[in-house]
Amino acid sequence: MTPRKKMWLKIVAVPVSALFLLATVTQVTAREPFTPAELKAKDDMLLASVKRGFDLWYGGRADMANNGLACANCHPDAAATNPQTFPKFLPMFNKVVTYRSMVNWCIEMPQGGKALDANSDDMTALEAYSFYLHRGVPIETGLVTRQTSGPKPTNARGFATQGTGIGFDK
Amino acid sequence: MTVRSDAQRRKFLGLTGKAGLSTFVAQAVGVNLGVVTVATAQTGRRAVTPFRFAIISDPHLYSHVNHVFDQHLEDAVAQVNAMTTQPDFVLVTGDVSHHGEADQLAKGKRILSKLKAPLRVIPGEHDWYLDMGAAYRANFGSETWSFNLKGVHFIGLNSILVPDFWTAAKLTPAQRRDWFMPLNSPVPGVWGVHEQQLEWLRKDVARLSPDTPVVIFTHSPLWDYYPRWNFQVSDSREVRDILGKFVNVMAYHGHVHHTVYNKIGNLTSVGTMSTSWPWPYPPVELPYPEFQQFRADPSNTMDGMGTASVSMAADGGGFVQYEPFADSLQPAIKNGFKV
Repeated sequence: MTPRKKMWLKIVAVPVSALFLLATVTQVTAREPFTPAELKAKDDMLLASVKRGFDLWYGGRADMANNGLACANCHPDAAATNPQTFPKFLPMFNKVVTYRSMVNWCIEMPQGGKALDANSDDMTALEAYSFYLHRGVPIETGLVTRQTSGPKPTNARGFATQGTGIGFDK
Repeated sequence: MTVRSDAQRRKFLGLTGKAGLSTFVAQAVGVNLGVVTVATAQTGRRAVTPFRFAIISDPHLYSHVNHVFDQHLEDAVAQVNAMTTQPDFVLVTGDVSHHGEADQLAKGKRILSKLKAPLRVIPGEHDWYLDMGAAYRANFGSETWSFNLKGVHFIGLNSILVPDFWTAAKLTPAQRRDWFMPLNSPVPGVWGVHEQQLEWLRKDVARLSPDTPVVIFTHSPLWDYYPRWNFQVSDSREVRDILGKFVNVMAYHGHVHHTVYNKIGNLTSVGTMSTSWPWPYPPVELPYPEFQQFRADPSNTMDGMGTASVSMAADGGGFVQYEPFADSLQPAIKNGFKV
């Protein structure tokens, strides 16, 4: 081994080896998984935001409308909001926008209300409610004119009634 | 505020009769509002004289002065009045008001009184549960009715009745009403027409011959569309059994705020667009997806809404023409369809 190669080993190989060693130690000493109690506390915080979002969605904040309308008028169970398709292009903005921008557009235009602070807890709650219902829906580009169905709200508030058994013939 | 392009406005002002309608503009003879005229009716498929009726759905009027939905209903009335072949009557499929307040129902009556043709109304849940139909009846009469017109038997039922859950809970009228505001509200009990109306229906059709064309109006559909949003009638099976003897039954409903079609046995079911706002399609497979309207463009305040007309042919069949305020229809249904 030439002196130059020995020097190269000291400069490069030793620190790299040390990094691998550090990474291994870090992995071993990483924090234990959350306890059930910790997980419940975190889930409870999320579900509290989802619940606040539900209340806002159904007209729980007066300044979000000046004509009595609420998000739920047009979007029961957050249907046809398609949050998983944002950011996307929308004609009324003529640019790509976030879901929060769309929420504020609906508050200001059809509802005639005052837009929310995009970083406020209430905006986060509206987002939490809508995204919560869309869990499991594939993320994809949304097409503006394509008709969409709502999410299947198996865990959402609201009722699921029994059918009469009369579906359709086809 | 309404947004409508020039082309749409021309369509709006230039609506013409379709589907081979007779040019005969009928007097509303036989449309005896509030009175059942079974005894004097012509029945039987060969006795049908072609005519037309129109449908306006779900105005959802609020108490606000000059609310946007007031103008939507005004537009619907103007649209129907502009039909070259005037309908013999206009059916409103319920939810005239949003909160069931007396002023909202009175506003609805005032706007709908501008119709040239006679008016028929059935209630929706939004009209009913504040005062259990008192203001509705004061403005529009009985919620259960039938009449015969030119060989066709028409029936209107109140399909939004639920068992009493409010008395034991000691709810105020407003609290009771508020249970029905969200589409997915956990109302204890699925809507239906209930036994009193079923008995009335049995008697109403008892003497009609099986070849009589029958048209039935309910607020919610007579099939299991999506129970979570009350897109069904709990006792639709009983209704269907009573009407099972007829060769052809046509059912028209509101509540869903969009176009939808289904056919089960002898009963064809057609849902209508609202004049207030369009509702998305629920997460279920539709039997006839080609009847879906386009997804509404939120930047066009008139998209996804409109009225409908139905032309009754001499053979007792119907021809449905949705009349959207904007370009909302798939090609399969744009030019109408037979039922």
